[in-house]
Amino acid sequence: MTDTRDNFLPASSDVGDLDRLVAPPMKIDTAQTGFNPALSRLPSIDTSSVSLTSVLDFVPSWTPRRIPIKCIGLTLPDGMEFMPLKADLTKSSDGTDLKKIAPPKKLVENGESSDAAELKKRTRIRPPADALSLQDRLFYLLQPPLESWLAGQELIMPFEPFAYQYEGIAWLFASHAALLADEMGLGKTMQTITGIRLLLRSGQVRRILLICPKPLIPNWQREFKMWAEELPVVTVEGNSARRRMLWTMPGVPILIANYELMARDLAEIPEEEQPKFDLLVLDEAQRIKNRTSRTAETARSIKRRRSWALTGTPIENRPEELAALFEFLEVIPASASPDLRQLSKLAKKYILRRTKDLVMKDMPPRIDRDAELELTDAQELAYRTAEKEGIVQLNSLGDSITVQHVFELVLRLKQITNYDPLTGESAKLERLVADMEEISASGGKAILFSQWTKTIDWLVPHMKPFNPLVYHGGVPTPKREPILAQFKQDPNAHILLMSYGTGAVGLNLQFAGYVFLYDRWWNPAIEDQAINRAHRIGVKNPVIVTRFISKNTIEERIDRILREKRELFAAILGDGDNSNVSLSLNASEIFGLFDLKARHKDGSRSIGPKPVDAPSEAA
Amino acid sequence: MSGAGKTDLLRLGFMETMEVDGRGHIGGLLITNQHGRPLEFQCTTPVRPNRTQEILFGESLRPWLLGELIGSTLLDRVAIKPSIIITSDPILLELRNHTAIPVACANPISAGKSHDSERVSAVRVGGSVLRFHDAHAVDADTLAKHRHLIPDSADLAEPLERVREALAETVRTVFAR
Repeated sequence: MTDTRDNFLPASSDVGDLDRLVAPPMKIDTAQTGFNPALSRLPSIDTSSVSLTSVLDFVPSWTPRRIPIKCIGLTLPDGMEFMPLKADLTKSSDGTDLKKIAPPKKLVENGESSDAAELKKRTRIRPPADALSLQDRLFYLLQPPLESWLAGQELIMPFEPFAYQYEGIAWLFASHAALLADEMGLGKTMQTITGIRLLLRSGQVRRILLICPKPLIPNWQREFKMWAEELPVVTVEGNSARRRMLWTMPGVPILIANYELMARDLAEIPEEEQPKFDLLVLDEAQRIKNRTSRTAETARSIKRRRSWALTGTPIENRPEELAALFEFLEVIPASASPDLRQLSKLAKKYILRRTKDLVMKDMPPRIDRDAELELTDAQELAYRTAEKEGIVQLNSLGDSITVQHVFELVLRLKQITNYDPLTGESAKLERLVADMEEISASGGKAILFSQWTKTIDWLVPHMKPFNPLVYHGGVPTPKREPILAQFKQDPNAHILLMSYGTGAVGLNLQFAGYVFLYDRWWNPAIEDQAINRAHRIGVKNPVIVTRFISKNTIEERIDRILREKRELFAAILGDGDNSNVSLSLNASEIFGLFDLKARHKDGSRSIGPKPVDAPSEAA
Repeated sequence: MSGAGKTDLLRLGFMETMEVDGRGHIGGLLITNQHGRPLEFQCTTPVRPNRTQEILFGESLRPWLLGELIGSTLLDRVAIKPSIIITSDPILLELRNHTAIPVACANPISAGKSHDSERVSAVRVGGSVLRFHDAHAVDADTLAKHRHLIPDSADLAEPLERVREALAETVRTVFAR
């Protein structure tokens, strides 16, 4: 039998090598103490034979195996598909040049990303605080930054949004209850439309209802066409049968209706047939500030999953108006009356409000100048006579005097400050003509606001040299859009005469560099809305606002009171925001204008004209 | 299923892993369309190798754990299979040895500039350089065929941030309980 040792050895090995392998020389270092010589001896290792069938006591073994891993998954919903836009689309229907907005990174000459492009801000969508499930939170976290989302895909944007607008869109996208209260002119409409567009694209909503004041419907239609041309928009109009069909017709992504039709039509639809929406948007949401009004109750009764409210003036008069909006948003219980501290807390969570001063540092400034004018002699005489007679008359009423009596006197006096009805003399007109000559000579355009259609109609012949255009409640709706278009396009049309009621909200007139407030509205918030028709995004030059105030008259006194009140609600909406909130005059203050004491029990009742869209005397 | 079966479109997979204190590693895979819109996301529970595995795998432990174990599991689980997988961690390139789908490591162009000449298996897409496993250099050619589907403006590193944020959110929400 062959020595089996040979099989394990290399061919060149010799016995010496074998010895080294079997019994390698061992040297054990021990301390030279002499006490333990046994340690220097080699250990003896014995081997023993075992049977091939025997089992060893311990056999360590390991085979690789996959560790079981659990997974958490999320499938994102399909977005709605829309008709693709034409490839050669470069102009929108109104002639605006369309462009894909700039990609997030631009390459410079050496082929590397420029630092500026590198630093470009990314707006990420954050999960809302009330999204508790992991899947919900991941849905928002996994969405791309808005800049690349809007730049990348089929989405064509006519203009690149500003950084604050990206933030607004991201906030709306992630909000189930939202009050977007940006100051007028900052692009609430565009942010809302883009938010809707992204929600539709990401499959979060499929059916949206947008409610707005009737005069603003053409504006929304136009803006939808500009910012989201691929989205089908249907307007509720026509006879009642057609409207009923439109309310309940499935497959309509975006339905637009006005407040009046909403209140009227939905009341006639049985409870079980009431339409349901994924998102309800209320534009000019101050329309529901009266919680018990039919409009507010109908708006709250609409079945929906998300509620957005848009307004530039979340508080026009009283903090309770904000509570009405929060009730619509379903963030407070029905009929709850949160105090100022609670309102402030809710505002932080559910209101996004930016002012021009805050976000539009590069926007040309709005220059306010108060034109304090002396009445003409004829006006002075008429005014003093009317005031004297009026006060005598009020005093003679004794306890039967009401705020309405005082209010009538105020209106009469204000009208005289506009022009003397007998002679037609007007200090304001003289100043206006002088200013307009300068404006028209330089090719500029101006908008003039008045409370009265009568004043506007009286002004028309006096403004003849400047080719005036008129836009107030007396102008039929179909004729209004062409008037605005003519004002924009006709270089000879230098002045647009508007009423606060019809022209104050929703219109884009940023090509006008001058605004005249011929008389003062009761509430500076409304005046600001009017001014912001011209001073809004896209404005290239400063806007000069001239407020006419007749000295030593009721106008001056009202102005002083309103001025003192402007900051009262700044605490609710945040520091530094005092431009659009204020109080209308209440009854005590109106009595105070003539040094009369309020004799009505309800001394705090507001007596200003009805809201801007339904003024009693104005158009 | 979002976009499943639409073969004319490119599906991008973005994979990242992260260590969870004392609990091991978790991994996430986000599938998007070529514009970066999310279609599906999967993430694992934490995986921790035992002591034996640590000793026996030695230096190959992390590629095995992150690439083969976590990476393969995620890839098995997603219903929408990506056309390419992009990661920021070169260790995850190991996954390519266990799948036929190209796996690329994305780096900013400036960061990878000095190595461009050394590596043939690198492709520039948008603002990133994609590098492939040395043993699968042919993947660069595969990507080149689909490159026209990825917009020049695409930032391939950005979705990886989303994956990392989603993993951090998952750790906060679920595993921290």
